[in-house]
Amino acid sequence: MKYSASSFGDFKCGHCGVIVSSAHFLSGVNNRNHCPYCLWSCHLDLYAAGDRLCACKGQMKPVGLTMKHGRNKYRLEKGGELMLVHQCIDCGTLSMNRIASDDDPSRIDAVFESSLRSNVHALCEQYGILTLKEQDTDVLHKQLYGRVDIPVAVW
Amino acid sequence: MSIEPSNDIRVPDRVGVVFRKTIGQYTVHANGRELDCTLSSLIRKNLIYSTADPTSMRTRVQKVKEVEHVDPIAIGDRVRFVDAGQGRGMVTEVLPRLSTFSRPAVTTGQHVFEQVIAANADQIVPIFAAASPTPKWGLLDRYLVAAEAAGLPSVIVITKLDLAWKNPEIDQELNVYRKIGYPIHRVSSNTGEGIEELKSLLQGKMSVLVGKSGVGKTSLLNAIMPGLGLRVKAVSDGELGKGRHTTTHYEMFQLDFGGTLLDTPGMREFGLWNIQPDELADLFPEMAGHIGQCKFGLSCQHDREPGCAIRKAVMDGNIDPYRYKSYMNLRGEL
Repeated sequence: MKYSASSFGDFKCGHCGVIVSSAHFLSGVNNRNHCPYCLWSCHLDLYAAGDRLCACKGQMKPVGLTMKHGRNKYRLEKGGELMLVHQCIDCGTLSMNRIASDDDPSRIDAVFESSLRSNVHALCEQYGILTLKEQDTDVLHKQLYGRVDIPVAVW
Repeated sequence: MSIEPSNDIRVPDRVGVVFRKTIGQYTVHANGRELDCTLSSLIRKNLIYSTADPTSMRTRVQKVKEVEHVDPIAIGDRVRFVDAGQGRGMVTEVLPRLSTFSRPAVTTGQHVFEQVIAANADQIVPIFAAASPTPKWGLLDRYLVAAEAAGLPSVIVITKLDLAWKNPEIDQELNVYRKIGYPIHRVSSNTGEGIEELKSLLQGKMSVLVGKSGVGKTSLLNAIMPGLGLRVKAVSDGELGKGRHTTTHYEMFQLDFGGTLLDTPGMREFGLWNIQPDELADLFPEMAGHIGQCKFGLSCQHDREPGCAIRKAVMDGNIDPYRYKSYMNLRGEL
């Protein structure tokens, strides 16, 4: 497939510089939100996903993980959809975004690990977002890898 | 420098205003008379004369250049014509225009020509229906930008006020334009609501009605001038309520209370003509005050540059995000 940054939807990641395709058969989502390699996003949406009304256009860093329970409700509960929490490095806005099927699971795990060492949980709670904490490690691994115990690769 | 040959003094030229045009035929109003005029072939060409000796009595055409217009004459043009009698004549010259409201002509070829919708207009009247068809604010932004580029004021008119209950968000959406300073007028051609107030805005001016098909431009004209009896049609059935392109030609009408009103066919698309990307922000009145205050000064594209004053104004709530998005969309087309 020939990639073109100018075609509708495809973009060049502003953080790691990789050309990212927005093709649905790769991502499994209708609106590609973030780079599947570094998980960084761009602050473009204001009121709804895909509205492209935000003038900030700052880079959004993945700061944590949460679970989407039901319609427009973000709540910590087993069985919900795993979501990435992004924070704009320019204006500080927080947003929750769906994980695409081709997102790097080891990067998602790394975001979770780094969120445990940061104070993002208190900030997210102010916005009503309950982020995954250390006791949710099993839930995360089941979502990412389909099992709780992760086999260590032996080379 | 070119020297124009003197006009033939045996046939006195007269001056009139173009009120109507169809293919190859122009209706010119002059001194209360109406003439059907054809076009002199000289108007379609630009003759380049010798410049070697400007005082020479011999004028020789050096080069003939085709004029790059879809039509060299627009409604509202003041033209010089030769009266051939029996209500007929020939347009020989287009007098200098005070203003032009233009768009790129919709053509199939690669070369894009200018289509002057109205010449010498005093104001632009973008018309949108409260419902059926649903207003497209991006199209309104295009009209407003084109009017600003032509140096003309705009009066936004919302028709079908009796159907406003179908679109409860319209007040909130119109507030964006009200805050910028554009006058907004609401009318209903069915009930006559707001028609008298609109007449006072149109009095003594040449106004141009623009809008997509089915918004009620000709119905509004019929409501303002009940004797005209122009042909109108209902929009198509269904949720979208698309227009049926009933009006197919440009025609200007003399208003009995003073002024003129140009009725145009519905425009499905409206491109911007001869506007440079760098001057686009200046055509958004709410952005104009922020130009030059960016970190990169006049070189700022107002897109992703750090320290952009316009983006900051959007984030601070001083510029509506939808208008900023319109700006970015239009900039992407130029």
